[in-house]
Amino acid sequence: MTAALSIRNYSLDYVTSAGPVRVLHDISLEIAPGEVLGLVGESGSGKSSLAWALMRHLPANAREVEGSLQLGNVDLQRLGPRELTRIRGRRLGMVFQDPSTSLNPTLAIGSQITEALIRHRDLKPRDADALAIELLGHVDLNNPAAIMRRYPHEISGGEKQRVVIATAFGCRPDVILFDEPTTALDVITGARILELFARLRQETGVAALYISHDLALVTRVADRVAVLKRGRLVEQAPAAEIFRAPRHSDTQALVAAVPRPEHRLVHDSPGDDVLLTASDIEVHYGNPGLFRRAPPAATKKIGLNVRAGEILGLVGESGSGKSSMARALTGLAHFSGRISFDNQVIHGARDMNAAYRRDVQIVFQHPDSSLNPRHRIDEILSRPLKLYGGSLPDIPRLLDQVRLPSSYAGRWPHQLSGGEKQRVAIARAFAARPKLVICDEITAPLDVSVQAQIIELLLALRAETGTAFVFITHDLNLIRQIAHRIGVMRRGEMVDLLPVEDFDANHIHSYTRELMAASPVPVG
Amino acid sequence: MSLAWLIRRLLLMAYTVIVVSILVFAITQILPADAAQSLLGENATPEALAALRAKLGLGDPAWLQYAHWASHVVTGDFGVSMCTSQPVGPEMLAALSRSLLVAVSSILLTLAVAVPLGVVAALRQGKFTDTGVSLVAYLGVSLPEFVTATLLALLLADTLHLLPATGYVSPLEDFIGGVRHLALPVLTVSVILIAHVMRMMRSETLDVLKSDYIRAARLKGLPERTVLFRHALRNALLPVVTIIALDVGYLLGGIIVIEEIFAIPGIGRALMVAITARDLPSIQAGALIMAATYVLTNTLADMAYALLDPRIRYD
Amino acid sequence: MTELLTRLIRKPQGFVGLSLLALVALACLFGPALAPYAPEKINFLGRFRAPGWQNWLGADQFGRDIFSRLMVGARSTVPMALIATFAGSAVGAIIGVGSAYFGGRADEAIMRTNDAVMAIPGLLMALLLVSTLGNGAGNAAIAIAIAFAPGMARVTRSVALNVRNQDYVKAAIARGEGALWIIFREMLPNVMAPIVIESTIRVSFAVMLFATLSFLGVGAQPPASEWGLMVADARQYMYQAPWALIAPSVAIAVAAIAFNLIGDGLRDALNPKDER
Repeated sequence: MTAALSIRNYSLDYVTSAGPVRVLHDISLEIAPGEVLGLVGESGSGKSSLAWALMRHLPANAREVEGSLQLGNVDLQRLGPRELTRIRGRRLGMVFQDPSTSLNPTLAIGSQITEALIRHRDLKPRDADALAIELLGHVDLNNPAAIMRRYPHEISGGEKQRVVIATAFGCRPDVILFDEPTTALDVITGARILELFARLRQETGVAALYISHDLALVTRVADRVAVLKRGRLVEQAPAAEIFRAPRHSDTQALVAAVPRPEHRLVHDSPGDDVLLTASDIEVHYGNPGLFRRAPPAATKKIGLNVRAGEILGLVGESGSGKSSMARALTGLAHFSGRISFDNQVIHGARDMNAAYRRDVQIVFQHPDSSLNPRHRIDEILSRPLKLYGGSLPDIPRLLDQVRLPSSYAGRWPHQLSGGEKQRVAIARAFAARPKLVICDEITAPLDVSVQAQIIELLLALRAETGTAFVFITHDLNLIRQIAHRIGVMRRGEMVDLLPVEDFDANHIHSYTRELMAASPVPVG
Repeated sequence: MSLAWLIRRLLLMAYTVIVVSILVFAITQILPADAAQSLLGENATPEALAALRAKLGLGDPAWLQYAHWASHVVTGDFGVSMCTSQPVGPEMLAALSRSLLVAVSSILLTLAVAVPLGVVAALRQGKFTDTGVSLVAYLGVSLPEFVTATLLALLLADTLHLLPATGYVSPLEDFIGGVRHLALPVLTVSVILIAHVMRMMRSETLDVLKSDYIRAARLKGLPERTVLFRHALRNALLPVVTIIALDVGYLLGGIIVIEEIFAIPGIGRALMVAITARDLPSIQAGALIMAATYVLTNTLADMAYALLDPRIRYD
Repeated sequence: MTELLTRLIRKPQGFVGLSLLALVALACLFGPALAPYAPEKINFLGRFRAPGWQNWLGADQFGRDIFSRLMVGARSTVPMALIATFAGSAVGAIIGVGSAYFGGRADEAIMRTNDAVMAIPGLLMALLLVSTLGNGAGNAAIAIAIAFAPGMARVTRSVALNVRNQDYVKAAIARGEGALWIIFREMLPNVMAPIVIESTIRVSFAVMLFATLSFLGVGAQPPASEWGLMVADARQYMYQAPWALIAPSVAIAVAAIAFNLIGDGLRDALNPKDER
């Protein structure tokens, strides 16, 4: 039987000003009809390039060096532009990563579905409308007829992704490429999309190439998994096996880096000394304009406390208010309520004195924007030293503490990778010898393997200095590995604040249960 | 768009016009140490100066002078010209209507030429057409109106004798004659507008063509024609309204120069005459009317844009 | 600085722009020395002489050498435009950064008023100011500076707001850095680049506006050989001596294009992320 999709000895170069760069080396993959192949790789692995190569949408500086790409018995590389538009959508579909940018913002949703249906299924407009409504209902959207008339910005991210999926499936292709379809969505929304995908796949028997950076997620969704590292295919195996028994060293490293709640990384318990207590914190954003009223508070009277040396986790989806808490605790947002720290009561940023600012530090999410691009690393690190006592000769020691070579002191931020920039940000925080470090989703934009290294670094620093942490993340599995207690936030409220051992108990909140069910625990 | 948005926008327009009027009044009447002196010149007799000061109410505090002037303006009374002793308002408005003829013709010509050229340049990015168009646009933006006007007059009037160099004939009376006289002014103003709008359209279209939703439409298997017309152009053309509104500002500045050069009796010319003659009420009226026209155009453009772009429904 | 220049030259716009600017700068700095004749020297025998050996770019209605007038006139045209732009940018920057720093209602009020001032078209504003202050090159420059300030305030404010929202500024606030440090050491270096680019492009508008004001008779006054004035003079005799018209027009265009191109080139060159 012919494979639905067949890639043989495919190599791809990008021509840059520094010469050709090979992004894919001799890739050979096959997807049987009805099979789902997961393609896993971190950033720079070339996984997206493979998708664009299949869709024949490579950038102008791409050079296909060798190999063949076959869709069934059609040679994709030999297609002219006309034939290409007949293949795309009809036989080879695609679902993109960010649903909010893959729909035309000025056209109604209905027309964006029907234009594909009319083209690929040869329907008249009225029939296409009816089919579109049926498809939207089939992907569990409420009131499909109303959604047809709406515009993309009027529905949520999850709903938009369902529309895109409905369109792709509606054209009845042989193969659908999924390029990280849940990365831009919240954990729970993403889990629902995965359930939808599983159901549709069962019903239609479509073959799929599911691309993701998340190995744990892919093993739940795919039949077989292929691992890409720096453009090379390092391993292919059935999904059930790849986690249990990875053979290649790169795969093993990847598997080891995936957070698993049962692999506890922190084994001590903190004492009873309470370092910081926050009560009734309500965070207010946005000043009222001349004509507008201020928006509602981001958090609704939240309370929490942190003990000396403890790791307190704060988990929630976007809009839950967890980052707002971080900002309130560091005086970056207006809040009402009380913070008591070190026998001082603080009602606002103005009450935070130099001692507080030294003892409570924050590391931000985006490494690109947390370091001033016009300051060198040594200048960045010298500031906390100047403010909190310490001297310039301490800089090499600070860099060493975060496992960076001291030669980095003379570099500019744009010369460092994302993980390295995050290390500098951590070094900057620790330069003050703080008692509490707030980490606001610091590993979210990083690859899984880099994330594992950063976590290991933080734990080592904690062992050295006894610092407490408030670790904010959306990854429940990760926080269950390291936290002593975890607070679960939702829409500005703290629905649960539990010791980590209690996370399997029965008395947890339904939302926490939902969150746990949605966090992908790998098969195997 | 919601009623609240509309009301807010109109209030903003009113505020803007008020600030403009204060500014115009302040610059022309309050700022000069002695407005009477600068109006009558060095050889004025003390009696004449005193009379003028009393007539203009220059002894009163600034806000009172403004209030006095504003209260008249609101009813349409711009005062009487110091040169002709005729009411200024009707004169200026008549002049405005003649300027609008040039303005509207220029905008229509610009739309017809610049929008398609900008889009085509974007579609053929990097190729000969694009480079050619971009170069011409660069040139157009780098020449002041008076240079373009003079060069065009040199070419079309003096050398080729195709069009009259100066003068104005109302198209209502003599259509062909009117058009011939308006051709050079309209062409001149249009050169700069076309260059500007062309560059903006090109950059807008390029942005749209690089967007994710255009990529998604292509990869959905839609034919290129559909992708371009139904998706890309639709969105690229949306800001045309805003771009044109911005250019009305350029236009109004250019009109002053153009009417000077080609002797068109529009509001720009009237303003220049008033400035040279130091006819205070005329200067104030002319400036206020010009600026108010710009504000009105911008507000209308905002409203038109809000109607067209489905993303702007609430605020 | 040298690194910046090399990166600028590598781009075609930067290269052409710098070359043109070099020509203009040459005229500004060494104009009088390069001029073969005195710019006011009247020579009735040579009236309307076509470009040739005696007058490289021809002579005008008084027999004055066009090339000499052009060279000397550079000093009347370009430096004033530069000063006006600089002054306007400085005032605009202060307003813009201040508005961004205060935020909230104050910011909105300042910006709405700023926009209202911008509702008066630039040339009109300049004319009104000059009619009050009196004719002359200096007053024209002041008028242009005032006309440019609101536009620069808008640009500065949007850049400053963008920078204000970056995490490194938040990190500085969380550290307890003083306001002066934050504004001058954290924000300003990142705000400078877009401001410099915008200002450079504005110089080209200033050159054109200044020439226009002189053309209309309210800027530089005769017998100065300001380029706009030269065009005004030459208009009456454009049939007899078109070169008297074309030469200063081209000069104005060259100066405007030079600054425009450099501004565009700087946009790419000042981006630190380009070299990786």
